[in-house]
Amino acid sequence: MNTLFDAVAFARKGPLSKLNFARRDMTSRLGLAVGIGLLIYYLFVFFVPFAIAVWLSFQNWDFIVDPKFVGMRNYLRMFNDNYFWQAVRVTVTFSAIEITVAMIIGLILAFLLSRLRGFKQRFYLALFYLPVVVPSVVSVLLWRWLFISDGGAFNVLLTSVGLPAQPFLLSADQALYCIIVMVIWTFLGGIIVLFLAGINDIPEHLMEAAMLDGAGLLRQFWSIVLPLLRPVIVYQAVVSVIGTFQLFEQFVFLSGPGFSTRTLAVYTYQLGFKSLDLGYGAAVSMFIFVMLLVATVLQLRRYRDAIEY
Amino acid sequence: MHPFHLAIIVILSALALLMVYPFVWLVFSSFKTAKDIVTLPVQLFPREWTLLSFQRVLATPDLLRAYVNSLGLSFVIVALVLVTSSLGGYVFARLRFPGREIIFLIILSTTMVPFITLLIPLYLMMQWFGLINSYLAIIIPSAISSFGIFLCRQFISVIPRDLYEAAKIDGCGDFAIYLSIILPLTKPVLSALAIFTFLSAFNAYLWPLVVLNEDRLFTLPIALTKLLSTYGVTNYDLIMPASLLACLPAVVVFLVFQRNFVQGIALSGLKG
Repeated sequence: MNTLFDAVAFARKGPLSKLNFARRDMTSRLGLAVGIGLLIYYLFVFFVPFAIAVWLSFQNWDFIVDPKFVGMRNYLRMFNDNYFWQAVRVTVTFSAIEITVAMIIGLILAFLLSRLRGFKQRFYLALFYLPVVVPSVVSVLLWRWLFISDGGAFNVLLTSVGLPAQPFLLSADQALYCIIVMVIWTFLGGIIVLFLAGINDIPEHLMEAAMLDGAGLLRQFWSIVLPLLRPVIVYQAVVSVIGTFQLFEQFVFLSGPGFSTRTLAVYTYQLGFKSLDLGYGAAVSMFIFVMLLVATVLQLRRYRDAIEY
Repeated sequence: MHPFHLAIIVILSALALLMVYPFVWLVFSSFKTAKDIVTLPVQLFPREWTLLSFQRVLATPDLLRAYVNSLGLSFVIVALVLVTSSLGGYVFARLRFPGREIIFLIILSTTMVPFITLLIPLYLMMQWFGLINSYLAIIIPSAISSFGIFLCRQFISVIPRDLYEAAKIDGCGDFAIYLSIILPLTKPVLSALAIFTFLSAFNAYLWPLVVLNEDRLFTLPIALTKLLSTYGVTNYDLIMPASLLACLPAVVVFLVFQRNFVQGIALSGLKG
């Protein structure tokens, strides 16, 4: 408000009114056009669909009879729906284990890679990154084949070293862990590259000083790399949570028996496109949104703490 | 230092071997005969080396068409994303217009909502607009990337302002400046963005699965998964070589632009 008054007073002074004119002229027509265009675009591909999702979650609709308003019934139904809670359990268990293990392995590998230089570093990085670029459906189908319990590649490997063959995807107890391994394998490369970039940003003199003080690799990792990397670690955790909640084809083609590996994302898809229970599907998908929002906000708060560190 | 170094190499090599292990199976199996691929228990090395499996893929019109579909779609999406991201990034980094900050915040806020929440409503909208079984249904939602605009804005806002001001004084319009100054200088970030966009467009599965249900329109990931269930038999003898071919564009892009990858991830990650 103050600046507005200042500007008016400034303009009234006469000769400077020209400057004010120049300032108004600085509104870019291109900028305005692009800005408005983007607003319209996002209105249609984001805000309208989001509004529809909210609206749908209060309706009962099967695509055939007209939608009917049912108030909170879809949300209440969730809390009594064992399939829903099963999906929540699968999703949360999967995310927690996958993210923790992947980040620990990623940290260690990034640190080891940071001790290498030039071609060697790029060579190993390329190998670790390869699964990230391969189409996810290819990886999924490949692992499905490797996991074949009756004479598949992994069981051939196990039995050749004298270990008992495993049922893998045929077992409700093992299937989820099989998918965890597969997903860690898929995305590990991305985590390593990000952590490596973070480690490379750490001033070299800190490491050298630590080395001169006789700190070993482990000590350097624990006392320098880990604390300084905290913002990057928290960032990666946020991205991973959002990513793992939305994985789809992994759970469809590597699914275990029954509902042992059905996540919220797959459940939403099935409600919407298989059982045509659109309202309830929308409600479950709103639950995913709120869960992710809460997780992100909580983690970002830690992100701020980490930066102030 | 030296024993450490050796230990690092040994550990990294062992783990790298584990990472590559699935691909080794993929490659070797693609050179097996059809019978060899589906015989259990599996055997790593082909009993008989052959290129017949690739011949079978080339003789499967569904797969070839899907390959062409995916490549074409991905190129269109990459082109659109590059134009919209660089223009959007430029506009938000350099130009003045009312509502600039708010519009940018609105665009960023859209990344907070997971795609799965928009899945059902977006499908309904596409149906209302009659876009089911049309590539427009795939192209429109991916033509503009919030992430791309954000990335470009970050990058363009550190380009020295003098360049922009000087061109302005010379009488260049905003769009001329975009074409002649901003676009050439934004090349590094655009090539990183191009790679990520290509990969995600080429690899997309869920959304194309939902909006396409005619065989002739299928993208490669969908065509591949359809091989799983024809006549209740899993056609691994086709899936293996076709998968290997499906990896090619991505792996080539990756190997050629490896440097941009690392740069791009560092750029996107640390500024987040």
